[in-house]
Amino acid sequence: MKYRVNFFVNEEPVELYVDANKTMLRVLREELALTGTKEGCGAGECGACTVIVDGKPINACLVLAPELDGMHITTVEGLAKDGQLTNVQQAFVDLAALQCGFCTPGFIMSATALLQENPSPSRDEIVDAISGNLCRCTGYARIIEAIELAARKGGGQT
Amino acid sequence: MKAFEYFAPASLEEAFDLLDRFGPEGKLFNGGTDVVIQLRDHLIAPKAVIDIKRIPGLKTLTYDPQGGLTIGACMTMNEIGNDPQVIAHYPTLAKAALSVGSKQVRNRATCIGNIVNASPLADTSTPLLAHNAVVIARSREGERSIPLEEFFVFVRKTSLKPGEIVTAIQVPPAPGSRGEFTKISRRREVDLSTICATILKAEDGWRVAYGSVAPTPIRLKKTEALLNEGPLTDAVIEEAVELARSEVSPIDDVRATKAYRLEVVGVVLARSLRALM
Amino acid sequence: MKSVGVSYQRVDAIKKVTGQATYVDDIIMPRMLYAQVKRSPYPHAKILKIDISKAQALPGVRSVITGDEYTKRCGLYLEDKNFLAVGTAKYRGEAVAAVAAETPEIADEAVSLIEVEYEELPAVLNALEGMKPDAPLIHPDLHTYKVAPIFHPKPHTNISHHYKLRKGDVDAAFAQCDVVTENSYYIPHVQHVPLEPHCAVAQYELDGKITVWGSIQSPYAVRQALSTAFDIPLNKLRVISPYVGGGFGAKAGTTLEGIIIPLAKRNPGRPVKLCYSREDEFENSYVRQGLHAKIKTGINKDGKIMAVKTEFVWDGGAYTEYGVNITKAGGWASAGPYDIPNVWTDSYCVYTNHPVGGPYRGFGMCEIHFAIEQNIDEVAEAIGMDPMDVRRINGLRVGGVTGTGEVMEVSGFHDCLEQVVKDIEYDKPAVDVSPTIKRGKGIAAGWKSPSQPTNAGSSAIIRMNEDGTYILMTSGQEIGQGSETALIQIAAETLDVDPDLISCRFGDTDHTPYEWQTVASRTTYCAGNAIKLACEDLKNKILDMAQIKLGAWKRDLEIKDGYVVHKIYPDRKVPLSEFALGLAFPDGSGVGGPAIGVGTFTLENNLNVDHETGMGSHPAAFWTIGFNGAEVEVDTETGRIKVLKMCSCFDAGKVINPLTYTCQAEGAMVQSLGTALFEELKLKDGKILNKSFVDYKIPTADDAPELIVKYVEHAEPTGPYGARGVGEPLMVPGAPAIANAVYDAIGVRFSRMPITPDDVLRALREKREREAT
Repeated sequence: MKYRVNFFVNEEPVELYVDANKTMLRVLREELALTGTKEGCGAGECGACTVIVDGKPINACLVLAPELDGMHITTVEGLAKDGQLTNVQQAFVDLAALQCGFCTPGFIMSATALLQENPSPSRDEIVDAISGNLCRCTGYARIIEAIELAARKGGGQT
Repeated sequence: MKAFEYFAPASLEEAFDLLDRFGPEGKLFNGGTDVVIQLRDHLIAPKAVIDIKRIPGLKTLTYDPQGGLTIGACMTMNEIGNDPQVIAHYPTLAKAALSVGSKQVRNRATCIGNIVNASPLADTSTPLLAHNAVVIARSREGERSIPLEEFFVFVRKTSLKPGEIVTAIQVPPAPGSRGEFTKISRRREVDLSTICATILKAEDGWRVAYGSVAPTPIRLKKTEALLNEGPLTDAVIEEAVELARSEVSPIDDVRATKAYRLEVVGVVLARSLRALM
Repeated sequence: MKSVGVSYQRVDAIKKVTGQATYVDDIIMPRMLYAQVKRSPYPHAKILKIDISKAQALPGVRSVITGDEYTKRCGLYLEDKNFLAVGTAKYRGEAVAAVAAETPEIADEAVSLIEVEYEELPAVLNALEGMKPDAPLIHPDLHTYKVAPIFHPKPHTNISHHYKLRKGDVDAAFAQCDVVTENSYYIPHVQHVPLEPHCAVAQYELDGKITVWGSIQSPYAVRQALSTAFDIPLNKLRVISPYVGGGFGAKAGTTLEGIIIPLAKRNPGRPVKLCYSREDEFENSYVRQGLHAKIKTGINKDGKIMAVKTEFVWDGGAYTEYGVNITKAGGWASAGPYDIPNVWTDSYCVYTNHPVGGPYRGFGMCEIHFAIEQNIDEVAEAIGMDPMDVRRINGLRVGGVTGTGEVMEVSGFHDCLEQVVKDIEYDKPAVDVSPTIKRGKGIAAGWKSPSQPTNAGSSAIIRMNEDGTYILMTSGQEIGQGSETALIQIAAETLDVDPDLISCRFGDTDHTPYEWQTVASRTTYCAGNAIKLACEDLKNKILDMAQIKLGAWKRDLEIKDGYVVHKIYPDRKVPLSEFALGLAFPDGSGVGGPAIGVGTFTLENNLNVDHETGMGSHPAAFWTIGFNGAEVEVDTETGRIKVLKMCSCFDAGKVINPLTYTCQAEGAMVQSLGTALFEELKLKDGKILNKSFVDYKIPTADDAPELIVKYVEHAEPTGPYGARGVGEPLMVPGAPAIANAVYDAIGVRFSRMPITPDDVLRALREKREREAT
């Protein structure tokens, strides 16, 4: 059985018929080809699939496809506009706060959600916001610095 | 994930109908942070998943000094942990809610889900036990209030009856109380508790609740009685530590040994008592 | 230098922050089939019967395969493995059958319908037991396996390699030493945990061509293994590796690619995809081998170490893709970065019924240094000397002699030591926070050389485009370490052009030229050398043409800032782009053709060691040496350890990109912190009890301490612009530095990692009991 869902991704309306036993992550990646959102564990433990739903970061791997109905979702593909990176993206580039890059979209989404809610977070608030995102390459120091830099430059918007 | 039907009932009545129709093959679904994993790992294979998030009235949190706190079933951990009333009147609960999982998980996971799972190490269970919280369960037959202590029966077993849906948790007012919530885990952030505890100094005496030291989260009644006998001194704390260790029955598992848990049960009690002295 | 030594922005950064960088699982093709694998539930079992009929009958299932049909073994050094078990399953989780179906759900369902009958066999669950003569044999036909000549499996045992090092006379030296100590250590299995799980897609076309897309560090090595296993000519087998989401060694060998090739061959034209779950990743990719280490040390009161006798027993798991070579590498490096006259080492790789051991960042060095560098602190204490003084006295200097008898031409040992002593403020003792919250500081050294075949080769092509931009083609694989950026910088430096003019292509065996492997911290060094040679070749060809164009002798011309310039008359210059398609003359004729440079590199005079003594004059391409320091805080009531600060100083030869170097050093320290405090695959009867992120914890942002990164630059004589490899060595001293700091804090030595809160409380309890009696 398929379930009709109407939702918005990156401000574009989407109508799909989905299986109940698929996750939001698979719908985004396989049906909408939004592959910037990654699967690192499928169990809500690594944060590689972080997307922003109605202003809040969540793990796309823990949402069932029929739940999509009515949601407003932002994925990493929805951030840069008119070829312009957001402050968060630019800060990650400037400080080389990435290596293999697989976890990077998830961190960018967590950081973006944080700065939208709290434009000048403390270091502890940053750590709390990204402690659900695992990175094996960077050692995190630069990621924290990049979020601080993005905050100084104006936060979660472009 | 095996195939299943998904329902998002618009009322409790509709949800009761679905529970009737599917019986044990119907799985109630809320934040999904546990259920999706159980589905993924084939630990459960229900015929129907019944999502209660679209039922009106479950996403509420109210507080008044007489009635205390009422947390609706669909309130997330972040909503609870960041709520000014919760922070002001039940700081141990706020802290416990924010100690669960990651920020992403807390935006979906609910306190009621945490309690209904009846995991021995549920982080929000100890502040709720210490505050004598009551579980509100609704069914076609009406409403039932179950003291949380009686709600937990065994590992992942509750006294909930078939056809019942937990709609809220009520926490009595606790004027003048002070408490300490402690979570001991291998990693400070985003980890399951090795043990967790809430020690509360209420107007009517001490309350001591622990998680991950027995098949269910528990209150240490003998330890409480000892503490309530008289003024808190170093000697009493030492005695209470030993008593607390005798009241718990932790096990060895992949996260820690029994010996470790026993030792830390005492450390957490002593530190909390000293902080509340 | 303009491009080398500059913090040039990572060329992959924009792709990675926008989600545009493509990893294998992002490849979604029309008519794709999905594979899934049936796995053995036993650590060691004879496969009696596999019934695939029910699975085959399931609608949507295209193919089901078992190992019987694919019996040809392969392996990088020792051909001991099949991609699907043949005859016996040798570890829990080993693939015994596989399915290709229209959807992942159908594939899952089909796997559950495959029925396998097993007869359980006695298992080897401990390497020390596995070495014994009466242990059950995991590879009874080991003596018939094809093996690279530098490895020596012991027939009719579970020992896949025994490396021996015999230098001087250790027994005579021990007899004369003031103090002789013996210490043992155990390092359990851990997993690499790249954030991207392994994934591969294979497609077969009826003309015989097979294309494999995989998350692969070493496309050429994978191509070779697959060619051997399935008899595919190399010109018909194309291996493509896009961006790799972290490797750390886990993606160096061949894993799931070998399962999908037969499935693809049965479904011509249809791509077949197999992605590992996180649980698979823990069990079925590779794991870091467990290690039992024993070190006997003879030291004099003046601090001079006269002899070490070491035994390493590696728990290699069921197959040995890299294990034999790790065993060799561990043996080579067993004396540590110290000048010790008498050395005796036995390093054994032992088959067990555990998950397959593979290379993990450090290639054995992280494991052995947890032993070696705690041992140095212990022997220092035994003679009442500061451990840094013992390191100062014994550390390798220029002209010093390594354990294998190699004379050091360069050594930054002492410079790095002093830098870390300064940065961790070693001379200021740590101050406890309270009687129960203790602090301590520790330092450890590390060294590593690439354990590659002595003739490992690299090649590169640089193509000039018509507009004077360049395409650099290499098979040095970008796995996050920043090779794409660093290699462009080397090319830009050599060509004397702006790095922005160069794009890099990698990871396609049909198009990018041969590279032995992206492992061993060798890419900047080996691929970098090949690239430098390719760029010099291109320059030489351009100068040949420029002689004609400018009417000047080649010796008077040079390439500068994107021009060929006359050295004496600098006004006479031509943009390089004018040579992109060769020279054209007014009469319409031309000469030279498109400008393309080719470079190939094999380190010369890199020699094998002697089998009986393990000694050699130049077995290592280079040695990278450095230090970590750590300051920790230990809560003696809960056992929790918090690392407050770590610092790093290595002799990098020449840092090509200070920014990406610093990133790698930071990441390495935090990765070492994970192994020191959290990480262990808990194995019980061959079963991994914690194969998920719920119970296998890696560090989060909250665990990251203050990180200080420094480096020194004593040029590597054979390295491009003096560079030597650093990616792996940077992680090596972290865990022992933390262990030494914990000792400093609470006076307890941990011979096993991770050092968990449980271990700390137990050890403190035992210490109290000891002191009470």
